[in-house]
Amino acid sequence: MTRILEDILTITARRAGLTGLAAIGVMALLAACAPAPSTGGSSTAAASNFLPCMVSDSGGFDDKSFNQLGYEGLTSAASELKVKFLKAQSKTETDFAPNITSMVNQNCNLVVTVGFLLADATKAAAAANPNTNFAIIDDSSITAKNVKPIIFDTAQAAFLAGYASASYSKTSIVGTFGGMQIPTVTIFMDGFADGVKYFNTKKGKNVKVVGWNVDTQNGSFTGGFAANQTAKNTAQGLIDQNADVILPVGGPIYQSAAQAIRDSGKPIVMLGVDADVYASDPSVKDLLLTSVMKGMKPGVHDVVKAAASGTFSNAPYVGTLKNGGVALAPFHDYASKVDPGLQGELDTIKAGIIDGSIKVTSPSSPK
Amino acid sequence: MSTLANPMPDAGPIVLEKAELKSWKAPIALGIFALIALILFVGFGRDGSSTFRFAESTDVVQLPSLTLPTRATGIVIAILLVLLTLVGAALAQTRRTVQIWFVAIFALLFMVGLLTWASAGHTVPFTGLLIGAVSLSVPLIFGAMGGVISERVGVVNVAIEGQLLAGAFVSAMVGSMTRSPWAGIVAAMVAGVLVAFVLAAFSIKYFVDQVIVGVVLNVLVSGLTSFLYSQLLTAHPAELNAPPRFSPVDIPVLSEIPIIGPVLFRQTVIVYLMYIAVAAVYFGLFHTRWGLRLRSVGEHPQAADTVGINVTGTRFWNVSLAGAIVGAGGAYFTLGSVGSFSQDMTAGAGFIALAAVIFGRWDPIRATLAALLFGFATNLQNVLGIIGSPVPSEFLLMLPYLVTIFAVAGLVGVVRGPAASGKPYIKS
Repeated sequence: MTRILEDILTITARRAGLTGLAAIGVMALLAACAPAPSTGGSSTAAASNFLPCMVSDSGGFDDKSFNQLGYEGLTSAASELKVKFLKAQSKTETDFAPNITSMVNQNCNLVVTVGFLLADATKAAAAANPNTNFAIIDDSSITAKNVKPIIFDTAQAAFLAGYASASYSKTSIVGTFGGMQIPTVTIFMDGFADGVKYFNTKKGKNVKVVGWNVDTQNGSFTGGFAANQTAKNTAQGLIDQNADVILPVGGPIYQSAAQAIRDSGKPIVMLGVDADVYASDPSVKDLLLTSVMKGMKPGVHDVVKAAASGTFSNAPYVGTLKNGGVALAPFHDYASKVDPGLQGELDTIKAGIIDGSIKVTSPSSPK
Repeated sequence: MSTLANPMPDAGPIVLEKAELKSWKAPIALGIFALIALILFVGFGRDGSSTFRFAESTDVVQLPSLTLPTRATGIVIAILLVLLTLVGAALAQTRRTVQIWFVAIFALLFMVGLLTWASAGHTVPFTGLLIGAVSLSVPLIFGAMGGVISERVGVVNVAIEGQLLAGAFVSAMVGSMTRSPWAGIVAAMVAGVLVAFVLAAFSIKYFVDQVIVGVVLNVLVSGLTSFLYSQLLTAHPAELNAPPRFSPVDIPVLSEIPIIGPVLFRQTVIVYLMYIAVAAVYFGLFHTRWGLRLRSVGEHPQAADTVGINVTGTRFWNVSLAGAIVGAGGAYFTLGSVGSFSQDMTAGAGFIALAAVIFGRWDPIRATLAALLFGFATNLQNVLGIIGSPVPSEFLLMLPYLVTIFAVAGLVGVVRGPAASGKPYIKS
């Protein structure tokens, strides 16, 4: 028996090269294409059979932004409910459908898909699995009994940010750039530009926005959500146009913008998006005027808890300034450097947007 | 062959052969661009004036900005382009080749026209455009140098992407742990060599198809770095993913030259290393014994073996050297540019570098120029997006790839690589 084993081992050793390669190939393909769903949550016994699940977009759950916030909403809800949960991270767009299918096959009751880009895959999965509930963040294109859209009227908060930036700018030029030209990105840029415009009409000033044109819906994009040299060059391009407030919209690309600002050595500030970046990434806090916050964490949290208590509905959850789903973060370190009257003006505008006397519209706003 | 006797004594003169030399490819390509120029600059001509800024605020010599009337400039340039096309057609008609400098002048004019047209009412920071182009090209050039060496010695290196990514990852980690960017760049080179070892072992020792090994290596490095990134780097960002960056070093005197100074001589150490690498690879390949042996192994391994060159050894160590060069390029992503690693941050730069190798006809200088062209097209897209050109953003994002395809297909045509590249050498 041992002899035979030894023989086999010798032959195997000779073939190690090829076999090794094959093994590497198989492992790599497995790792890249269909990550096995990983179980998270508390190790305590599940309080109920409710199983919430989540599928990320290509940013991954540790993007310090969009996916991470949704994921934190899921974890906090799961720990309150004392239930387990599953998550699957997508690496590329081709992972979306297989990941959703694998979640459904794990008997998930609620599958939360993070992001507009997963809309098609979610729609198909919802039609194929009418007994599973779905919730999709940032998309309202699906009308199905078992799909709840979680959407945000981010333009409202970005409007406030645009007003504040215009007020802060010394060069009277503010800039913005995005990751990809998709509605959830351009809605920030629309609100921002409209906020600047509102400032100009109110104060009789002429602050210019570079990087985005609301009328033609055209502007500067890096073509992806990676913090790379392209994103840094785009930020540098805005600095070359003399902008001194920059709004980078899209996951981690603000890190590239921060490096461009530091390299320029000029007193330039930037704005965070999605989370209050001052708290989520302290390494750039000295550059942050404020952040445009999108309440993904409370949104997901509420939807998961509602679904667990059996009150799932397909009525969309819309985050607005009114329900606190979107908001402008505090100025933190810049509180003493902005115009003293600014906070009061922002509060007035916020009230105006809530009662409808100031209309903030964007082609990308939730309908 | 001219040395052979002519078998047909009454064969006619060589008129027929000459007729085949008439090439219409260049004039047709020029004509298409002249037509685009006519449509855009004249048909959709824009009013206002376009300003080109040549000086940075920190320059000693302040060049004045150039302001051009948009519509008039566009019309003049479109007419010039049409005239150049006619000259090109005349050259083709009289069976003379359209020289590369002719195409270069045409491209430059077209570019000036396009920038003028797109920037009506705005300012183009010309120096900033070039600075960005160079910084985007740096990893491509390192990758292309590695590709040139590797292919010249006879091993197709599809794993450039993986080597860049491994270099970026390791340099971020080691740089953060040692607080030294120098340690980071050395570690990046080691990482590049390790990936190259795998490629070399499988393709040279085990005769596995080189393209397949390369592709698998790319996927492997991508999966491995993503895994380690999410397990280690995101958990300890301050200790493992915050390397100190190289700060720009101004070269005295040279950095004060207008335009060229800020673009080429106010860079980080990695960029200066790149200049050295390009010069060294060029000189080494074509003017040293090492280069001659390397090329002979890539062209005709049997012949090289016959005269006593160790084919396997030469291939193995030069592929490893190529890995070290590409690894250093990977360090640029973290230590030279952004300052932290993120998943798949190379974003296909390795494949563009591979295209630059072929576009550059396996020549280090031409490959460098090809990489610079790609960097320029990418940054042009950035600048046009910011100044609010009338071209849709989605189209602009395609621009670098369009330029690459056009350049490879239209300008290069049929090229001959090293004869034994991609073929394992089995000693009989």
